[in-house]
Amino acid sequence: MNRNSTFRISFSLKNTYRVNSILYGLRQIPLVKRAIPVSLYGIRGIKTFAQILAILWEIISTFLGKALYILLMISGAASLYGDLRQEAVFMHILVCLSVYGAFYNTEMFNPTRDKYYAIMLMRMDAKAYTLVDYGYGILRTAVGFLPVVLFFGLGAGGSLWKCLLLPFSIVGMKLSASAYYLTRYEKSQEAFNAGKPTRFFWISTFVALSAAYGLPARGILLPDMAVNVLLFLPLPAALWAAGKIYSFASYRELCQNLLFQLLNQMDNVKNISRNQSLEAISGDQRISSQKEGFEYLNELFIKRHHRILWKASKRTSVFCLAAVLAGLVACGLAPEVAAALNRIMLTYLPYFAFIMYAINRGTGFTQALFMNCDHSLLTYSFFKEPSFVLKLFKIRLREIIKINLVPAVILGLGLAAILYSSGGTDSPLNYLVLVVSVICMSIFFSVHYLTIYYLLQPYTAGTEIKSGTYQLVMFVTYMACFLLMKVHLPTLVFGLCAIGFCLLYCLAACILVYRLAPKTFRLRS
Amino acid sequence: MKFIIEHLAKHFDKKQVLKDIDFTFESGKIYGLLGRNGAGKTTLFNCLNRDMKADGGAFYLTEGDQRREIVAADIGYVLSTPTVPEFLTGREFIKFFLDINRDSVREPKSIDEYLDLMGIAPEDRDKLLRDYSHGMKNKMQMLINIIAQPNILLLDEPLTSLDVVVAEEMKQLLRSLKEGRITIFSTHIMDLALDLCDEIVLLNRGVLELVDKSNLDEHGFKDKIIAALKEEAHEQE
Repeated sequence: MNRNSTFRISFSLKNTYRVNSILYGLRQIPLVKRAIPVSLYGIRGIKTFAQILAILWEIISTFLGKALYILLMISGAASLYGDLRQEAVFMHILVCLSVYGAFYNTEMFNPTRDKYYAIMLMRMDAKAYTLVDYGYGILRTAVGFLPVVLFFGLGAGGSLWKCLLLPFSIVGMKLSASAYYLTRYEKSQEAFNAGKPTRFFWISTFVALSAAYGLPARGILLPDMAVNVLLFLPLPAALWAAGKIYSFASYRELCQNLLFQLLNQMDNVKNISRNQSLEAISGDQRISSQKEGFEYLNELFIKRHHRILWKASKRTSVFCLAAVLAGLVACGLAPEVAAALNRIMLTYLPYFAFIMYAINRGTGFTQALFMNCDHSLLTYSFFKEPSFVLKLFKIRLREIIKINLVPAVILGLGLAAILYSSGGTDSPLNYLVLVVSVICMSIFFSVHYLTIYYLLQPYTAGTEIKSGTYQLVMFVTYMACFLLMKVHLPTLVFGLCAIGFCLLYCLAACILVYRLAPKTFRLRS
Repeated sequence: MKFIIEHLAKHFDKKQVLKDIDFTFESGKIYGLLGRNGAGKTTLFNCLNRDMKADGGAFYLTEGDQRREIVAADIGYVLSTPTVPEFLTGREFIKFFLDINRDSVREPKSIDEYLDLMGIAPEDRDKLLRDYSHGMKNKMQMLINIIAQPNILLLDEPLTSLDVVVAEEMKQLLRSLKEGRITIFSTHIMDLALDLCDEIVLLNRGVLELVDKSNLDEHGFKDKIIAALKEEAHEQE
């Protein structure tokens, strides 16, 4: 197999993988799924179209990724240090991050799926594949960086020769780092895995980030001499490194090693959430219940999941209490803070919809319910009897509301107290609306999560989420709460609307659950 | 008592997995459901257990001339991978089940008697099910499915992953339970089916058919089954 065909195969493999992922993703969206048949994967026209898209994306991403990186991480960050020489800050940050990136952003040591398919499943020659894949990656780095660095570097006032040299220095650093890892592997058989961070990785990240962004904040920059050395040194080093990379003999072994770890990681991801859920069960032998039937089941569930349910809720409550107290103290100490807080209490209530969303334990509760309880009990037919489904729904609704209520009450009363001590309001109804609407929002989220869990039951027996609709609802919930943060309405107006909405929603949700849940509360297959 | 399935059908996308399931099962017998990988055995069970909506058809029970719909309590469904609520202990699981099925469990026994029946050791009874071994979970699942004495017991490859001793115990148990109910046992291990089951039913090209054993010795019977299953592969080509 010559290099040319290795490249063609590896690129088309990556492409097929990408194209199929796009098509698979499309089929996960509720309505689109019906419109697109499975045979889609085999239709030639669509494939060619997706192929062209993928190639276009390959070209755009070569430049776009680099442009975003330089814009946000380098130029954008450099402009924050306004009183320093822009050109010097630009070079300082770029050089620091490049040295760090050379060691941790190495395509050769990043175990990815397309490598797994090519080398392990299709048994392509490991050395040829790695060299072609790596060479292509290096070429993309140089080609991608050149125009981007020129544009932003010259814009920052950098000299032309430095900007022209930089992409090649970055490539040199990358090659040298890879060659270093290969040498290390020859000596110690220790394969570096870029996909699996170690403690040393986190320490280096901290050091690199502090050097790149922390030093300029204190007015310290790399001297010109050091920058020049870091720009030139990688060039001769690259020659040595390229020789090393080309002559390295154990690519097959190295890939086997890395990809084996990848396989383990893939298995682990599946098991991690499962194991986490199982570990959440308390093994405390003193836990027992004197109740009967579903109340018995529920009490044992709540007690054995105390850590992820009540403990989390208590922690949130303490945090809310501390925030409220801090607000009260601030009101007492500084009149201008008091005025600002007063305004917030009277116009920023929509903001609290997002906070209530963020502190709600609903998803944790339904996830634990599924993973540790319903996942198994739903395979028993007795558990699916309509009267039982509804009885348990009622009990669970009561529990989830209780768990979320404690922080909500603290927050509601706290907001009213802050409003009072920050100067109060002309309309005393505001106090009541603050307390009641925050509590209503909390109840709303509790009902919402449990209802969609009962109506859309998104999990399969293998505990995978397999409902596009469910994910869509979760996303819409998030977006709605997020957008509410931008809304500024008088507390009285928003609060009354929120109370009305929550009551209506709860009513509608309960009716829907009573009508539909006996049919929808099933394992997905 | 008879369990009758009429014209049951189910497809996924364009693949018609169950075409026209039309069959009558009689009580007191263990039926071995044989089929090749992907023939639709689990799909059939999922439809019968109403975990999956069938495209069409019906299934019901008859007692004498009386025909009645199947309710959840009629069916016990034992899966190949045992699933038990991990946050309960063995004893608590049984107690919960007995609590909520107090009206439907005939002649209830004490919790320990049930656990004795399955050979769950006394020191394991108050452990969380999370910490049970595969075989013990399987026994618990089977136990829950037989306490309520369902009219129809569906078993999806239940013995495949058990060690020989537990598998033998389970076989004995199934034999002792077969009176008064319909047991349908899905497997693709033919020897197991022949050893345990009274009738062999093939799921083939989306339909169910009984394999007639009349005047064949075991060897001849096996050949007949293999031939029938191969026929399918041949036609698909």
